[in-house]
Amino acid sequence: MPSHGDLDRQIAHLMECKPLAEAEVKTLCDQARAILVEEWNVQPVKCPVTVCGDIHGQFYDLIELFRIGGNAPDTNYLFMGDYVDRGYYSVETVTLLVALKVRYRDRITILRGNHESRQITQVYGFYDECLRKYGNANVWKYFTDLFDYLPLTALIESQIFCLHGGLSPSLDTLDNIRALDRIQEVPHEGPMCDLLWSDPDDRCGWGISPRGAGYTFGQDIATQFNHTNGLTLISRAHQLVMEGYNWCQEKNVVTVFSAPNYCYRCGNMAAILEIGENMDQNFLQFDPAPRQIEPDTTRKTPDYFL
Amino acid sequence: MDSTNLSSLPEESLEQEQEQQQTPPKPQDSQKKPLPSAFASVPVRPPTQSSLQKYSPLDWSGYFDEEKDVSIPDSNDVFHVYMAGTEGAVVFCLHGGGYSGLSFALSASKIKEKARVVAMDMRGHGKSSTENDLDLSIETMCNDVFAVVKAMYGDSPPAIVLVGHSMGGSVAVHVAAKKTLRSLAGLVVVDVVEGTAMASLIHMQKILSSRMQHFSSIEKAIEWSVKGGSLRNIDSARISIPSTLMFDESKNCYVYRSRLEETEQYWKGWYEGLSDKFLSCPVPKLLLLAGTDRLDRSLTIGQMQGKFQMVVVRHTGHAIQEDSPDEFATLILNFISRNRIGPHGVEIPGLRRPLHSQS
Repeated sequence: MPSHGDLDRQIAHLMECKPLAEAEVKTLCDQARAILVEEWNVQPVKCPVTVCGDIHGQFYDLIELFRIGGNAPDTNYLFMGDYVDRGYYSVETVTLLVALKVRYRDRITILRGNHESRQITQVYGFYDECLRKYGNANVWKYFTDLFDYLPLTALIESQIFCLHGGLSPSLDTLDNIRALDRIQEVPHEGPMCDLLWSDPDDRCGWGISPRGAGYTFGQDIATQFNHTNGLTLISRAHQLVMEGYNWCQEKNVVTVFSAPNYCYRCGNMAAILEIGENMDQNFLQFDPAPRQIEPDTTRKTPDYFL
Repeated sequence: MDSTNLSSLPEESLEQEQEQQQTPPKPQDSQKKPLPSAFASVPVRPPTQSSLQKYSPLDWSGYFDEEKDVSIPDSNDVFHVYMAGTEGAVVFCLHGGGYSGLSFALSASKIKEKARVVAMDMRGHGKSSTENDLDLSIETMCNDVFAVVKAMYGDSPPAIVLVGHSMGGSVAVHVAAKKTLRSLAGLVVVDVVEGTAMASLIHMQKILSSRMQHFSSIEKAIEWSVKGGSLRNIDSARISIPSTLMFDESKNCYVYRSRLEETEQYWKGWYEGLSDKFLSCPVPKLLLLAGTDRLDRSLTIGQMQGKFQMVVVRHTGHAIQEDSPDEFATLILNFISRNRIGPHGVEIPGLRRPLHSQS
């Protein structure tokens, strides 16, 4: 058993919203990869566990989440992706979650979201943040290379199916998902893309997603999927819901979103879903963490109509 | 990319000589028809050019197939439209304030391979002439679009994908939100968001007045547009800029054809409530932005709820269709094909079961 001294020191450091040195990140990502490569596309998870949605670099809100839900490893956690982009602290957020994964591999599960991708992070902030904080793109590369290994979905006690986005018309069963080769960049289309991009919808059947990737799926689809696979619930994130969580499709699907006041402007609550020892469900809602003034991001006035 | 445009201009005198050869004779009725088809006499140049020809105007005919004047019944309004392509849905393009339909010329030449393109000169712009060129109220511009569509296609228009840039984006959203254009199949808004637009309005008069106002030649105006940073693509500037100018006899120079600074009373109306209107449009929506930090609260929520597609185009200025015409055209065509928009509308409405492609 290797000493956890270094790791514990790093976690304490990260909990103060201080990034690790580049070399430390590299070592950490190497260790994490060795763990994640052993995990499954449908990673089994035991209860009790607390299920969390999007974080998006809102580090102080993640600390608030731990304050509300309990610290790792006292509480087991399942995060459903989207750790980076948009918020100001993607680096600290994702480093902390990966460090916790390496330190407590059986007590924390981290799935892949559509933002855990090379392409998306170059547009929505994580890449720029790495450049800003490290002066080069190495850390961005370590993390995005690691993201390829993140499991796509998790299954709590063979009953609650957890993933970032939603269902895919190419995937009828969990075995279909288990057969995917996930170690790759998130493709633009296809089953792996759908799992990370799809949304539930009020209309029946499959629909073209307004997002430009993935599909929309109706209640009939979710009901059938749960029935086929012996599931009680699909738990997913990916969509902002003002109350932090939202039941839909006759309680076949629940959305959990854990970034309060998303993007520091949306005014939404966040929530996490506690799954108890008897599979009982309890939602905890929370507001943004009280915090100091956000880093100044100067917005250039666009020369509209010129 | 910008730095190449900032190099000093050599051979000033030579360039002026060239200008004199190329500048068409000044039209007598330049006030009303600032730029008649005199450019037809300027040949389209091959892609490799000497620096002397760097800023010479290019004719529309290398990019669109046809231009025509659409007269609106029971009025004296005549709208000039450029058209390209023969099949597929109609990509109906609305330019921004101060631009013209030729802002879409370069992208149209790509889009027309798979769809039809119509780009109109809006009221007070380009070669359109109306009874009141200064009435750029959102209602009037919306009615103009309805009138042009009706005059062109009667009561059975083909499937239309409305594309609007900046001010034209606002018109596109308002037209779509009225839900009266039954064949509307898609909405594309290019780099305009209510929050940032409203915030920038107070700077607009200053930005307008700080523009260079007088140009000794069309080439100078093209050069200024590129060096001043409003356009980043010289080829597009060579096509689109001439149509934004008119010759002022009294000043003996070229000036802007659109008197935007006299339309301030309408600006707020372009952008107020735009985000919610955009989200309310019941068709597939694509928002193309030149930078991420332009989303306001409504759009951030809408995007995070998956209500529309957003693409951030990198390394481009405000006029995405001019600066990155190839990428712009690809995005439009992908949007059309992904949403299965054919000449008569959405081909398989909403539903499909793709082939099993388990890997």
